[in-house]
Amino acid sequence: MRVELQHVYKAFRQNDQTVPVLQDISLTVEQGEFVCLLGPTGCGKSTVVNLIAGLEKADTGQVLVNGQPVTGPGPRRVVVFQDAALFPWLTVMGNVEFGLRMAGVSKSQRHTAAMAYIKLVHLSKFAHAYPHQLSGGMRQRVAIARGLVMQPDILLMDEPFGALDAQTRAILQQELMGIWQKTGCSILFVTHNVREATGLADRVYVISSRPGRIKNVEAIRVPRPRDAAHAALAGHQQRIIASLGEEIEKVMKDELGEAIHFAPTDRPGGADRSVDLHL
Amino acid sequence: MPRLIGPVVLIGLWTCTSSLIPSWPSPWRVGGLLAANLQDPVFQAALAGSARRMVVGYALVVVLGITLGLLLGRFRFLDQLMGSLAVATHAIPGAAWVPLAILWFGLTERAVIFTILLGAVGIVVVQTDTGIRDVPPILVRAARTMGAKGLKYFWFVVVPAAIPKMVDGLRLAWAFGWRALMAGELLTSVSGLGQLLNQVAKAGAVDQLLAIMLLIALIGIAVDGLIFKRLEHAVRVRWGLN
Ligand SMILES: Nc1ncnc2c1ncn2[C@@H]1O[C@H](COP(=O)(O)OP(=O)(O)O)[C@@H](O)[C@H]1O
Ligand SMILES: [Mg+2]
Repeated sequence: MRVELQHVYKAFRQNDQTVPVLQDISLTVEQGEFVCLLGPTGCGKSTVVNLIAGLEKADTGQVLVNGQPVTGPGPRRVVVFQDAALFPWLTVMGNVEFGLRMAGVSKSQRHTAAMAYIKLVHLSKFAHAYPHQLSGGMRQRVAIARGLVMQPDILLMDEPFGALDAQTRAILQQELMGIWQKTGCSILFVTHNVREATGLADRVYVISSRPGRIKNVEAIRVPRPRDAAHAALAGHQQRIIASLGEEIEKVMKDELGEAIHFAPTDRPGGADRSVDLHL
Repeated sequence: MPRLIGPVVLIGLWTCTSSLIPSWPSPWRVGGLLAANLQDPVFQAALAGSARRMVVGYALVVVLGITLGLLLGRFRFLDQLMGSLAVATHAIPGAAWVPLAILWFGLTERAVIFTILLGAVGIVVVQTDTGIRDVPPILVRAARTMGAKGLKYFWFVVVPAAIPKMVDGLRLAWAFGWRALMAGELLTSVSGLGQLLNQVAKAGAVDQLLAIMLLIALIGIAVDGLIFKRLEHAVRVRWGLN
């Protein structure tokens, strides 16, 4: 199974203007690969996810899964959204078995399958809880289980940990690694955090904004589990920041309405902030 | 505790004013009369009659209102055809249906039930329809990527997503229906609380009139507080709207 974008162009109508959002995007996710999309807010990362999910259509170019064009949404390509998007009227069990229910799987079968994935994300005790009773991190676990239970060709994760505190985020990153290694599924993971991308991915596509173009592809071959202090990771991070150097300024200028110049090395906000593109 | 301040002040003011105006009975007298009335078989029969009509009328409102609302929400052409009719119905106060009800059904119980139905069904249709149209887009996308389509999508995603709006509609419909019931009974003289109001007013018994009105208010408050407010709260918590 292979997911591929070939020379994709996508524009949106905004205030009677056609604004190009993605320009000549080509990327691949091989079977079992963990790929990150990294770029500043508004560069079109979610649009890429929506194109692969079949929720949007490319204006030109191709979106292919196993060589077949994507024609619409379906359970072979599930999305984990930033705010989990659980169905509030269903329990954890109800949410996780939802896709199987839509597929007409019998009650006992889908119950067994859902329970296995609820266990996988360590929520057995909460199988009968409702989303409003769960923390943000737990909701994302449910969303991950809800996607994986469909045994999709690819799990699309759109800034899944973006709204979580640093500690929860670190725990979930680690667990996601374990789940990915256990299940062997392909993952496309969207983030605007350089450290998160280099910590997780086999390959990082760095996207620039307005319109979104692929600026750089970093193949990361550091063995897992990855040590955050590994020298090679710092090198990757520096190259990614350098490739986005002008980009960071561009975003700052757009958001603050004035020209700001700084080198990647002396950015304000300390070490952690220096790798977060969400300015 | 703070919730008691309002009623206490109200009873205090009522007591003061009644001691100044001779024709204005005190709350204690009105309350006593109400307690006595509740032991009276004639009064009990009137109360039972009102309750029966309200239950039947409201049941019709729920079934027809939700069914029509779901159909209008699901089929755009039906909404274009009948949506404005539902809005128009909802804009007509319950009491305004009584003359038509009497023309069609005479001075009967059916006329009262018809009044409740027309006075309250519009809001349920409108709210259900709105709820179905306002499913959060993120849930639509999540459902679509998990393969939800067609009738299953409608039944397992759209309808539950619309429940908070439906409950709002049902709560309002109860209040509208209760008003329509009183208007219907007043004008048709079918035995009930509304008709009792008419009788005691003709006899000039202000204290009895107030006793019946107090009961009407208490029932209204009790049903709303004990059933609808709780239901609405439970739904809002579950749906994460608080
Ligand atoms: N449905 C849409 N209609 C119009 N503009 C859109 C739509 N979706 C996204 N955009 C625009 O496309 C750009 C990229 O959006 P998005 O893919 O969400 O970026 P990212 O996920 O990287 O933050 C943004 O400027 C956004 O305003
Ligand atoms: Mg996004």
